[in-house]
Amino acid sequence: MGGRTLRALAPLAAVAVVALLPLVVTDRFLLKVFTFAGINALVVVGLALLFGHAGQVSLGHAAFVGLGAYASAYCTVRLGWPWPVGFAVAGALAALGGLVLAMPSLRLKGHYLAMATLGFGELMALTFQEAEPVTGGVDGFGGIPFPSLGPLEVGDAAALYWLVWAVVGVAVLAAYNVTSLRPGRAMRALHGSVPGAQASGVDVVGVKVRTFVVSALLAGLAGALYAGVVGFISPSVFTLTASVTFLAMAVLGGTGSLAGPLLAAVLLTLVQYIDALIPGLPQEASQTIQSYREDIYGLAIVLVVIFAPRGIAGLWSRRGGRGEAA
Amino acid sequence: MSLLQVRKVTKRFGGLTAVDDVSFDVFEGTIKALIGPNGAGKSTLFNALTGFDRPDSGSVVFAGAELVGRRPRDTVRAGVARTFQNTQLFDELTAGENVMVGRQARQRRGFTAALLRLPSALAEDRDARAEAGRLLRLIGIEEWVDVPAADLPAGIRRLVEIARALATGPRLLLLDEPAAGLNATESRELVQTLYRVRDAGITVVIVEHHMGLVMEVSDEIVVLDRGRKIAEGPPRMIQKDPAVIAAYLGEGGDDDD
Amino acid sequence: MDELLQFLIAGLKNGSIYALVALGFTIVFAATGAINFAQGEFFMLGGMLGVFFAGLGLPLPMAAVAAIAATAAIGAVFELLAVRPIKGGDPLRIIMVTIGGSVLLRQMALHLFGPDELPLDPFTEGPSLKLLGAAVERQTLWIWALTGLAVVALALLYRRTTFGRAMRATSIQRDAARLVGVNARAMVTASFALAAALGAVAGLAVAPLTQASFHVGAGMGVKGFAAAILGGLGSPVAAVGGGLLLGLLESLTAGYIDPLYKDAVALVVLLVVLFVRPQGLFGGSGRVKM
Repeated sequence: MGGRTLRALAPLAAVAVVALLPLVVTDRFLLKVFTFAGINALVVVGLALLFGHAGQVSLGHAAFVGLGAYASAYCTVRLGWPWPVGFAVAGALAALGGLVLAMPSLRLKGHYLAMATLGFGELMALTFQEAEPVTGGVDGFGGIPFPSLGPLEVGDAAALYWLVWAVVGVAVLAAYNVTSLRPGRAMRALHGSVPGAQASGVDVVGVKVRTFVVSALLAGLAGALYAGVVGFISPSVFTLTASVTFLAMAVLGGTGSLAGPLLAAVLLTLVQYIDALIPGLPQEASQTIQSYREDIYGLAIVLVVIFAPRGIAGLWSRRGGRGEAA
Repeated sequence: MSLLQVRKVTKRFGGLTAVDDVSFDVFEGTIKALIGPNGAGKSTLFNALTGFDRPDSGSVVFAGAELVGRRPRDTVRAGVARTFQNTQLFDELTAGENVMVGRQARQRRGFTAALLRLPSALAEDRDARAEAGRLLRLIGIEEWVDVPAADLPAGIRRLVEIARALATGPRLLLLDEPAAGLNATESRELVQTLYRVRDAGITVVIVEHHMGLVMEVSDEIVVLDRGRKIAEGPPRMIQKDPAVIAAYLGEGGDDDD
Repeated sequence: MDELLQFLIAGLKNGSIYALVALGFTIVFAATGAINFAQGEFFMLGGMLGVFFAGLGLPLPMAAVAAIAATAAIGAVFELLAVRPIKGGDPLRIIMVTIGGSVLLRQMALHLFGPDELPLDPFTEGPSLKLLGAAVERQTLWIWALTGLAVVALALLYRRTTFGRAMRATSIQRDAARLVGVNARAMVTASFALAAALGAVAGLAVAPLTQASFHVGAGMGVKGFAAAILGGLGSPVAAVGGGLLLGLLESLTAGYIDPLYKDAVALVVLLVVLFVRPQGLFGGSGRVKM
C-alpha cells in the first residue's frame, strides 16, 4: 500500500525537484551541467524507446544530435529564421535521417542494425567535418544565438535550464503515453519474440520504423537545444564516443522503463563533470578523472549487461513488487 | 463448405521435402488433429498455413480467400490464429499484457492516438484489458494475470499463448502441441478449454503427440508421415488403420493413456 | 598506367589489412552468431604492443611474436571475463558487452601507453622497390607476406587439425558439436584468441607505415566489418576477397575522384551492402560456412 502511494507520488516529486532546482542552485556552471543533463536525457528518452523497449541497438545517435544541431544553427544563423522554426527543422531533418536509415534496416537483425547505425554515425561525423560551406568544418560553427520564443530571448542560465527541461517534460509525457498504451506493448513484444509479435498481428515493420524515427527526432531536438545553449558546435562533439555515452545511459537505465534511463542520464552527466562539481579539486586529480571518464561508460555497459540486464529500472520493477501484484 | 481447404501443399528445404502434396479440409465448428511421428512435417505445415513460410506449391483457402503469399500479420487479421511449439511469449510483459498484445490484431487506433492519449486510444486499451481478463478466466488462469511471462511455469505459458491467440479474434485456431509440458490435471483442463473454444464457434486444428487427448477431442484426424498424408478420418478409424499403425505406432509410439 | 598500378598496389596493401581484420569478425561470428565490436581494438593492440615490446629492447621479430601472443591472450581473457558470463549466449547482449569492452580496451591502451602516435621501425630497412615502374615499399611486401601466411595457416588449421575441425563443427551447429564431444565454450574462447591474433598481425604489419595509436581501433573495426560483410560474413575466403576489394575501391576512389572521400568509401560500402545485399557478394544463402 505504502509502496503504491510512493510510486504515484514519485513522478510528482521528481517534477517538483526538477522545476524548482534553479531556485536552489544559483551557481551558473552547476546549472549549466544540469542543463546538459536535460539535453542528454532528451536523447536517452528516445533511446529508452528504441533500445529499452524495442530492443534495437543504435551506435549512431550522436549523428542525429549533430544533424539537429547543424540544422538549427544553419537555419537561425545563415537563413535568419526564427528559433522555433530552426528547432522544428532540426527535429524534422533528424527524423528524416532516422527514416532513411530505418527503412532498409528492417530486414536486418539486431547485430546488423547496430553496425548500420555505427556506419551511418561515422559517415555523418565525416560529413560534418568535410562539408565546410555548411558546417564550418573542423573549425566549427559559432555565433549561434540563444533560443528565443518570439520576442522573448531565453538567455540566462535558469531560463535555458527551464526551456530544456520543459522539452524533456513534454517528451517524457509523450513517451509515457506511447509506452503505456498499445504501441509500447508492441515495442516490447518485438523485443520479446518477433514470431510471437507477428502471430499477434503486430505490425512489426511499422513499429520498428516509427520507434526509430521518434528516437531520431528527439535526438535532433536535443541537438538544436545544445547548439542554442552552447552557441558553438564542432564535429568533435558528435562522434562515436558520444553515441556510446548515450547508449551507456540507456543501458544503465534499464529496459522497459523511462524513469530508469532518465535517472541514468542525469547521473552519468554529473559523473562527466564530477571534477568540476567537487570544489577545490587539484588540477591533476581533475585531469586524471577526465581521462578515466570513458572507462566509466564502458564499464557501466559491461557490468550492467552481464550482471543486471534490467538496469536501474530493475531495482524497482514489477518483479520486485510481484508478491503484491499476484 | 469447409472453412479451410488445404490443396496439394508442398514445401521443400534443400533436398528434403518436408511437406509433400498434402490436401485436407477443416469444417467449421470442428476440432481437427494433425498427428505423425517427429519430422512428419506438422510444424512446417502450420508455418505454411499462417504465412511464416511460403509453400513451394499448393493453395490454402480460408473462408474463400487464398492465404498463400500473405504475411503472418494479414493471416491473423483474416482470422487464423496460432501458437508455437516453442512458446513465443514476450518475457518482459505480464501474462495479461501478453494477451493484450494479441488484441492488436483487432485494433485500429495507432501511434498518434496513443501519443496524444486520445479517448479512442484509452477506450481501446480498456477493451483490450477487459478482453485479456475475460480470456484468462475462460482458460482458468486469471490468477497469473500480473506475473511476468518469464516467471510463468511451462504449462501456464502454453495456456497464456492460447489466450493470446484467442485475443486476436480468430475463426480458426491452430495449436502446436498445446499439451506439451502440461501435467495430468492441466491436460484435463485443456480438453475442457478446447471444447469451450469450439462451442464459442471457433474451429480448431491441433498438432499433438498426446494420443489420449487427440483421440478424445478431435472430430477428425490427419496423419502425416515423412511429409505425406497417409490417413484421414475419425479417431476410431485412424486407430485401426494399418498404415498408421505401421508408420506411427510401430516406431514405439507415445500413446500414454 | 603507372598511376593505376600505383593505386592498385596501395589498394591491395590496405586491402590485406582489412582482410585480416575481416577474418577476425568472421571467426567470432561463426562461433557465437554475434559481431565482436572490439575486433578493431585487437588491431590497435597489435601495433601498440609491438611498439611496447620493441621499446623493451626485444629484437623486432621477437617483439612481433610477443605482441601477437599478448593480444591473443587479451582476446581470450576478454571472452572469459565479458562474453562467457552471458547466459544463453544472447547475441544482443554479446554485442552490447563487446561495445562496452571495446571502450575499455581502448582506454586501457591510453592509460598504459599514452595518447601519442608511436613509431615502429620497418621490418626491413631500405629504399622502395620498383615493380613495372611503380614503387613498392618494403613494408608493403611484408604486409602481403604476413597476410598470405596468416590465410594459409588459418586454412591449414581448419582443414588439417582436430582443433580446426572442432571449430568448424561448432560454427555449423553448436548443439550438435556438443553432442560429438566438442567443448563449445572452449571453441568460443579460442575463436576470440584467434581473431585477436589476426587483428594483431594486421596492426603490427601496418604500424611502421602509419604509426600506432590508441584511438585507431573503432575506425579499423568499421572498415574490417565493411570488408567482412562485403564478402558475406561467411567464409574466410569471402572475408579476404571482401578486404582486398574494399582496399581497391578505396584507393581508386582516392586516386581518381578525391582523397577526401577515401574514408567514406568503407562506410558507404557498409551501408549499401547491409541495405541491398546483407548476404554479401560471395555469400549464397547468408548461412555461415567455414
